[in-house]
Amino acid sequence: MEISGMRKAGTALTVVGLAGLALVYWLSFFWVSTELSQGVAQRIFYVHVPAAWTAFLAFGISALCSAMYLWLRDERFDQAALSAAEGGMFFATIMLTTGPLWGRIAWGTYWTWEPRLTLTLLLWFIFLGYFMVRSSTENPEKGKRFAAVVAIVGALDIPFIHVSVLWFRSLHPQPVVIRPDSGPSLPGDMLTLLLTSLGVFTLLFAGLFVLRYALEGLRRELDVRARGAAA
Amino acid sequence: MNKLKTVMSAFLTPPLLALSASAAAAQEMPGAAMAEQSLRPYWHVFIAYAIAILLVLGWVLSIGKRLKDVEERLGQ
Repeated sequence: MEISGMRKAGTALTVVGLAGLALVYWLSFFWVSTELSQGVAQRIFYVHVPAAWTAFLAFGISALCSAMYLWLRDERFDQAALSAAEGGMFFATIMLTTGPLWGRIAWGTYWTWEPRLTLTLLLWFIFLGYFMVRSSTENPEKGKRFAAVVAIVGALDIPFIHVSVLWFRSLHPQPVVIRPDSGPSLPGDMLTLLLTSLGVFTLLFAGLFVLRYALEGLRRELDVRARGAAA
Repeated sequence: MNKLKTVMSAFLTPPLLALSASAAAAQEMPGAAMAEQSLRPYWHVFIAYAIAILLVLGWVLSIGKRLKDVEERLGQ
């Protein structure tokens, strides 16, 4: 797809995603029922969980593209990995800031070093390292290769974050949606809103990822022109 | 870019109004003892939702600005 086409597609997806986010906020405040034990604070669930899902998706895509870059040395995979990693950092920051706000009400503390929180913070720092490694080498190609390895190592943390509530004693609840032995345990309206929010966050990420990828394409074009002018 | 900003402002206004309405609803809860302790969950929800939308819009604007800069440089 041409860069102008990507820009149009990315903008359209982002606008639809932002409209969807407004709908999710409206549904969360005026439609969904209030959870009995936690009260209104449980509504943080509808941004916290989708942000977590989107962050893991983004970091997973970044790791996959990084592996493809290391294998094929195609610049486009590196651009995609970088774009996804940037999105992952934004959504992981949403997850890591909204979670403690909920935790303060539900658990009585903003932060505790329980397995899921610790592993998630570790993931955030690993991907912070991804950006630092990229920009810290004199040879950009070397930086891209090192960063690709960091992304792959970081993504290995994601499955452990998911199973940490099953393997270790954790303040986080057991899964309420993906339960192999039985169906989701959430009431219908809460599940509907959660799935809507998951879709909206994924759509927003998709739109912004495409725009970010288009930006990298333009930067590459700029580099090529600069090199041509220098030669 | 200006069109994008206009569209985003249009989408930002309803959720902000919804958040204000929710805070107002919290203040209307009955009982004289309904002070800071009872309002805390509402504030936490308000802050969490504000952080989410601000970070998303921040990324949107950041990408838009960078795209504009690169396109201007390419135009030159």
